[in-house]
Amino acid sequence: MSDQRIFTRYRADEIKAEFQNVEVKKFKSNAMKRKNALRKIIANLTMGNLNEMSYLFPEIINYWKIEDDIEVRRICHEYIRKLGPSKPKNANDALPYILKDLDNRNPALQIMAIKTLLMVPSPDYVDEAFRFVSGIINRRSSSSDVLKTSIFALTQLDDINHDRALPLLDSLRDIISGDHQINSVKVAALNTLYTIHEKNLSLPNLNLTVDASYDLLTILPKLNEWDKALLLESLICVCVPQTHNDAYDLIDMVEPQLQHVNTYVALNALKFIIYITNYVDHISDNLSKKLSSSIIALLNKPPELQFLVLRNVILLLLSRESLILNLDVSYFFVEYNDPIYIKDTKLECLYLLANKDNLHNILEELEQYATDIDIQMSRKAIRAIGNLAVKLDENSADECVNTLLNLLEFGVDYVVEEIISVFRNILRKYQDQYKSQISTLVSYTDSIHESDSKNAMIWIITNYADILPEYLEYFRVFSSHILEETLEVQFSILNSSVKFFARNISKETEALCIEILKCCTEEIDNPDLRDRAFMYWRLLSLLQSPKSEINVEVIKDIVDGELPLIELNTKLDPAILEELELNIGSIASIYLKPVSQIFKQIKTKQLPSSSVLNQNRDSINIVSNENLIHEQKRSQTDRFSDINHYSEGRSIPSKPSRRNTIMDDYDKPAETVNQLKGKMRSSNSSSSLLSRKPTKLMRKLTIKKPF
Amino acid sequence: MSSCLFILDESLEPLISKNVKSVRNLTGILEFFKLNYKENGPPVFTVLEWHYVFIKRDSLWFMTAIHETDDRITNLMALTFYLDQLYLLLKTYFNRSSLDRNIVLDNVLLIIELIDESMDFGIVQLTDPSIIKDYIRVKVNSPITHLTSDDDSDTEEKHKGLSTYIPGKTDIVKLWKGQPAVTANEGKSNEQDNYDDDDDENFINSYIAKTTIMPVSWRTKGIYYAKNEFFLDVIEKVQYLMDFSTGRIRKNLIHGEIKCKCYLSGMPTLKVALNKLIKNDEQFISNSKFHQCVSINSLKREINNEEEENTYHGKEIEFIPPDGEFVLCKYELKRHVRDVPVIKLSNIEIKPKLKKYKIQIHVTIETHFKKQNSTSVLTIKIPLRMVFSQYKIDLTKQPRFKSDFGEVLFNISDDFLIWEVGSMKGGNGESKNNMVAEFFIFNQEEYDRLQEEMKTSMNPPPLREGPKLEEIYEQTHDNRDEHDKNGISQQLLTMKFEVPYSTCSGLKVEYLKIEENQVNYQSFPWVRYKTINDDEYAYLI
Repeated sequence: MSDQRIFTRYRADEIKAEFQNVEVKKFKSNAMKRKNALRKIIANLTMGNLNEMSYLFPEIINYWKIEDDIEVRRICHEYIRKLGPSKPKNANDALPYILKDLDNRNPALQIMAIKTLLMVPSPDYVDEAFRFVSGIINRRSSSSDVLKTSIFALTQLDDINHDRALPLLDSLRDIISGDHQINSVKVAALNTLYTIHEKNLSLPNLNLTVDASYDLLTILPKLNEWDKALLLESLICVCVPQTHNDAYDLIDMVEPQLQHVNTYVALNALKFIIYITNYVDHISDNLSKKLSSSIIALLNKPPELQFLVLRNVILLLLSRESLILNLDVSYFFVEYNDPIYIKDTKLECLYLLANKDNLHNILEELEQYATDIDIQMSRKAIRAIGNLAVKLDENSADECVNTLLNLLEFGVDYVVEEIISVFRNILRKYQDQYKSQISTLVSYTDSIHESDSKNAMIWIITNYADILPEYLEYFRVFSSHILEETLEVQFSILNSSVKFFARNISKETEALCIEILKCCTEEIDNPDLRDRAFMYWRLLSLLQSPKSEINVEVIKDIVDGELPLIELNTKLDPAILEELELNIGSIASIYLKPVSQIFKQIKTKQLPSSSVLNQNRDSINIVSNENLIHEQKRSQTDRFSDINHYSEGRSIPSKPSRRNTIMDDYDKPAETVNQLKGKMRSSNSSSSLLSRKPTKLMRKLTIKKPF
Repeated sequence: MSSCLFILDESLEPLISKNVKSVRNLTGILEFFKLNYKENGPPVFTVLEWHYVFIKRDSLWFMTAIHETDDRITNLMALTFYLDQLYLLLKTYFNRSSLDRNIVLDNVLLIIELIDESMDFGIVQLTDPSIIKDYIRVKVNSPITHLTSDDDSDTEEKHKGLSTYIPGKTDIVKLWKGQPAVTANEGKSNEQDNYDDDDDENFINSYIAKTTIMPVSWRTKGIYYAKNEFFLDVIEKVQYLMDFSTGRIRKNLIHGEIKCKCYLSGMPTLKVALNKLIKNDEQFISNSKFHQCVSINSLKREINNEEEENTYHGKEIEFIPPDGEFVLCKYELKRHVRDVPVIKLSNIEIKPKLKKYKIQIHVTIETHFKKQNSTSVLTIKIPLRMVFSQYKIDLTKQPRFKSDFGEVLFNISDDFLIWEVGSMKGGNGESKNNMVAEFFIFNQEEYDRLQEEMKTSMNPPPLREGPKLEEIYEQTHDNRDEHDKNGISQQLLTMKFEVPYSTCSGLKVEYLKIEENQVNYQSFPWVRYKTINDDEYAYLI
């Protein structure tokens, strides 16, 4: 029989009539028809037809009284559950029947009843729920299924009335520490305790002794997969190793779970181990291999799961660089049939993974994406290449630039546009290195239509005017259509024309400048642009008045000041990273924002202190398991020196005279400078407030923006 | 912890809704989701104070919403994985290869029950179909005409040597056992009949319900089969992607799976020894995942012991299997770039013979696996869109196909050739197969001349036999949008194959022991190997 008929909107009296029909003739086959009518009610509730269906309350109660069929009973419960949340008052009539089910000897029925009880937010229901749950938890004599469900129910009861739930927590502690035979119940108790402690500010963080944690972890292999994951989740920050040996033992116990089929278990095992590594002084390279391969294995999943894993990989890469993980870039290469959000996230990973050694591989791959049919993808790939050039050192930048120049020959409009935009950033970092390429770039002036690239092109022309003999020609391509341009481009044109004049006072530049100023003040309506044009005009007219102290040099200084080097900030604040790392797999890890910033929760996770807590996470050594072979050791130190080298290369400005300020006009690429204007306040108490402000990288990495 | 859960159809209308945390306005939450859902958007997004997580499977959406007061203690991985598992669970329950709106609508109550059972207050309890089946034994409501075309059922048929599926008889208990009650399972048939006949039966069996909280949560006590059999299938999927023009190999991977079907009585302990484990193949060890019944700790200990002292007698996997079907192990192996693919495309050439107004496509393939084996299925799909867009193909003249072996079919609507080779012997490249396809290029001169003749001659135009391909081509290509014309999938020559009795990686089951201490019975272990293609086994041409 097909149920599709059932899924249409009915009115209450239609169904009522159906019931009456059934009642009149008492045949066996009527049971079927009656159930059918009941199904219709559920279908209508699903469709949101609540008001109409609430008239059927008496009928439902009626069946509750007389029917013993478990399926009918289930429908009755479902009815209350669906209706209860929005119409708690109506549901009160059903309470006695639910209580009757609660006292039934069949645990399945009991579980059903307790679930229904919690669904209705009325005081009577809550009272009964508390009475029953505390009875079950304190007595502990009933079926362990019911006990387990009651323990989980407590989490929800705690939301409703924390004070009443509080006395029960001690019983939960007893269950955990006592020798309850059924492991699953222990895990449930621990998880509930953990959740309640997490949610309530008034409670201190849950704490278990190392011994107790050992006891719990020894039952790990015997648990059902979901319990395994719950246990691991609940132990983070709860179990604090006191010695290095504690930490190693804990890792050993959890490590096998990295290979679990259930992604949730594997990820939680990973999270737990990452957490414990804060309390060790070295990590065996075997472990690092295991962690890496488990991540790779996690990637081989349906796209939605893969997405979550990739977001967390980004997090780990940000916080640990390549110290703990050693991932092969080829796993992050984009496949043509990946959904867009996976492609984006993979690009992000590739960007973070890039270093001197694998740059060649990555560039080759990115070059292919850049010629992809998908325009979005191609743009993103080009952007990534540009960002790599800015992120890495000069030699690598050479390679990136060569790739870009190759792509330029490809000649498609959007590719050219994107390359020009990206080149501006490269030129901002390496001012003199690529002068020879400028003329090639400028020759593409005509094929640019997008405002961002136009801006970039105008910037390039202006900045390198000294090596472009016919720069004014190029500039006119844009300035002659100033009225049709977008606002940003108009601004750039205005600025550049003034710059040209200030740099080189000639008839030509003067005419151009005046033309633009006139146009901006008279023909364009935007007040900001007009104001700026007036400002320039007055400034320039000061030149003519003999009294003022303003001369050409001063004006040059004002309008054509030297720009600071751009600097990339790949790093999030360590404190934020620490917090995020403890939240692997949570929503915060997807948005890569500290929990306290986006969510209303005020309780932040922090590494519990212990005598063996590492102050500096980078100081962990990776030690090979076998006797240390010299070569490996050398390669290890090489790697470290590389890292040092990178960080030096990044922070030393090329000219000492240049102000190394951090600036904020650079917000297009995937990662950006520290931004000083942050609206959000971090609640973390930290000495440096500046570093707490959300960087643009974090904003970029969030997925709230459309991709 | 999710607050509520939905299953939605194509137009995002709710089919199933499940209120977990007594949310007042479920429809409101759903409205927000509908408003903010974006095609191709990421599977997580936030609107006001709700976080939405969803997965899309077949034509359905599985969605759950989390209120922000819970976001601290919510693990997205748990929810996403749960949704994924729920989908698989429903699929197994309905014995469908894909779900759709109708099957969900037909079984609303069953699905609500399944969700109820697998989740307590938003905390996932269990999702293993083989356990849940012990709790919930409701007859699946499925249309009479429904025919199963499941891969699994195919293999099953081969095992048993008879076709077992009677349309419409999709009784859940039988499906769990994966075999008809007639051939085996006589001990249980009584019980089954009860379920079959009596709809009003109270299906909850509190004795069985204890299994979830027992140490061996995946197997119930008291299972009995008259004939005790255990099937073990090693199936390796080869993923391979090569850029034929540059000769670069982009991908060469093996995705292996050990699938088991267990019809054994009592609480048997199985020991399986794999050659990879014995040889201590590091890649295998680090890239394999085992079913929860395999105690990973014991596996690890064995490996460690071996390394340290070499005293342990062997590296075997020891486990108590769940009843029915399960996947014992999944592994992924990387192949070396130089490792030849199972079926190698040794040559593909497009030879335009412009003088003769013909274009020929030559394809040669060769095999690289053991000589004594041969493929049971081998189909090659050759894309033609590139050829069609480059040359003006004249379809008024029938194209011609020739192959050493097998049959060549021309799909005119989607522009590709299918070369069904079927069975091909193994070898080391010496066994080769050729195929030539010949198309005619439009000849303007001849066309003009014919038109001219037609005008002048009094004869009626010559009769044409066979289908008018050019018209069909016109029809099917009329309103195709330009966009998908040159997609990369149009440049992929894909292959579909199946090589029984061999594994690409060389994985072998050295032995398989079944021990059951209480009931000593004779048991029949069956081991089979198969290498098949992954979805992505392709050459970029």
